[in-house]
Amino acid sequence: MTRRLPLAAPLRGLPTEVSVAGATVRGFTGESVAAAALASGARVLSRSLKYHRPRGLFCLEGHCGGCLVRVDGVPNLRACQVTCAPGLKVEAQNAFPSAEVDLLGAVDFVFARGMDHHGLMTGSAVLNQLASRVVRQLSGLGKLPGAVATATPPVAEHRVDVAVIGGGPAGLAAAEATARAGASTVLLDDQLRLGGSLRAEPSAGPAAAARAEEAAAAAGALLLPRTGAIAYFPEDAGGVLLAASDERAARVHARHWIWATGGYAQNLAVPNNDRPGVVALRAVGRLLADHGILAGERICAIVDPAVRRHAQATVDALRAAGAEVSVLDVSEVDTVRGRSGVTGVDLVDGRQLDCDLVAMAALPAPATEGPRQQGCAVVLDPAAGGFRLVTDDAGRTSAPTVWGCGDVCGYRGPREAAADGARVGAQVARALAAEAT
Amino acid sequence: MARKIVLCRCEDVTLGDLEHCVARGYRDIEEVKRYTGFGTGPCQGKECLAAVALQLARQTGAAPSKIAPFTSRPPLSPTPLRLLAADPAAHRFPDDPDDTDDTDGDALDAAAAAPEER
Repeated sequence: MTRRLPLAAPLRGLPTEVSVAGATVRGFTGESVAAAALASGARVLSRSLKYHRPRGLFCLEGHCGGCLVRVDGVPNLRACQVTCAPGLKVEAQNAFPSAEVDLLGAVDFVFARGMDHHGLMTGSAVLNQLASRVVRQLSGLGKLPGAVATATPPVAEHRVDVAVIGGGPAGLAAAEATARAGASTVLLDDQLRLGGSLRAEPSAGPAAAARAEEAAAAAGALLLPRTGAIAYFPEDAGGVLLAASDERAARVHARHWIWATGGYAQNLAVPNNDRPGVVALRAVGRLLADHGILAGERICAIVDPAVRRHAQATVDALRAAGAEVSVLDVSEVDTVRGRSGVTGVDLVDGRQLDCDLVAMAALPAPATEGPRQQGCAVVLDPAAGGFRLVTDDAGRTSAPTVWGCGDVCGYRGPREAAADGARVGAQVARALAAEAT
Repeated sequence: MARKIVLCRCEDVTLGDLEHCVARGYRDIEEVKRYTGFGTGPCQGKECLAAVALQLARQTGAAPSKIAPFTSRPPLSPTPLRLLAADPAAHRFPDDPDDTDDTDGDALDAAAAAPEER
C-alpha cells in the first residue's frame, strides 16, 4: 500500500523507532509521527467526536483535527506536527478499546441518518438528565495530562519593523525583500519545515523551499520555524501579536505586518469523504516530495476543476513513482467506499474503482483568521476557495500597516505566490522609507 | 452504511445537518455555528468555515459576498497554557480595579506547589 522511496539523507533524518498504539513504528528523526505511521501502514489514528468514525491524517500541515493523539502523556497533539524521537509513546484517544476497534463506533450505525442533538432525549426531564450524564462521559477530547506542567518558560519579545506571518513562498520572498531593504524583519511559520506549499511540489519543491529560506536568512530576516501566530491583541501596547512554539511563547511588536499564511488544504463534498486514506492531494504531494513516501499504489485523485491544472503535476509525479492514478472530476463521484480505510470509489455512471488512497484536490481556503483579528476585510469568493483577504494592487489590506500576499489573497500557486511576496515586500520597504523621511 | 458527507470533521457536522439547519430557518453563519457546532472543534474552522459558507450561499441563494465569516478568536491554534503562564500580561486584568500585578508569578508558584485534587 504505502512504501518508502529513496530520498536524500538531510530530508529524512536518522532512523528511529516510536510506539504507536502499542506497535513499534519505524520512522526518521526529521519526519512527523503521522507520516511514519502512514509509511508503516497504520491508517486509523483517531476517532471522531460524535459518531466515533475512524479518522486518519488529512492535511499533514497541523491545521485539521484528523490526527489528534496522546504523546508521552500529553493529550490532543497533532501527530503530523510531532517529530519522531526514540522511545516516543503515541496513544489513541477518544476510543475504546482502540482507534482501530472502537466499540463506540456503533453510534455511527445507530444514527446512520444523522443525529439532531437538539431534539434527542428531550421528551422527558428524567430521560434528558440521564442522557446528559451519559453524553458528558463520552464527549470531550482526550484525557487530562499525566503530569502537571511545571515548566513555564519566559515569554520572548520581538520589536521589529516588519513581522511576516507565514513561511511559504510568499512569506519567505516578502521577508527577503524587507530585510534586504534594511528593515528589521521577523518571520513566523507554524510548520515543521519552512517552505509551505513549496514542499508539496513534486521533485523541485523542497530544494526551492531551501533556497528561499537561505535567501531570506542571508538578507538578515530572523526566521522562526515551528512558531505559529496564536492571537492579535489590538488593545495591548499599540497592538501585539502573540506567537508560540512547542517550547515558548513570543510577543511580537511590529510597525508593519505582512500576512502570508496561504491556504488550508480542503476536502470535497462526497459521501464518506472523512474515511482514513482520504488525504489532501497536497499532503500526498508533500509525502512524496518532502518525505519520500508514496502514500498509495492505486490512487483515485478526486479533483475540483478549478485546480485541475495544478493537480496534474502531482499526479504525474505519483505515476512516475510507480502509482496507478485515476483522475476523477468531483461531479463524477457517487461515494468513497471503505470504513477503516478506503477500498475504492463508486462513480455516478455505475463504475466501481478499487484503490488504497483517495487524494482530494480542492481549492485551499485562505487562512485569514489572523488578519481578521487585526480588523482586515475579507470576502467570500468561490473562485478563491473561501474568505480571501481583500488587498489593493500594492498588497495593502483595509487595516493600516497591514499587508497581504500569496494564497491568503486567493489561490495562485507557489510560483505566483513567491512573485507576489517579493512585490509586496518591496512595497512595505518603500512605505517604511517614506515614514522615515 | 450511512452516506455521510462530512463538512466539519472535528464536530462530525454533515451536509445533511446543514440542510436541516437551513430548513429550520437558521441562515446566518453565527446561527449555523451555534446550531450545528461546526467550527467549534480543534481546527476552529480551518477545514470547515469556507466549505460551510460556500454551501450556505448555494442553499440559501445568498450572494457569497453578503456572507461574513464567524468571529476569529484566540488562540488561532491549540496552545499549551503553560507557555503563557510566565507572561506578566497573563496575570493583569486592566478592567479590574482590585487587581494587583502578580508579575513575579507568586500565585502561580503556589498553585504549582499544591495542585488541586482532580
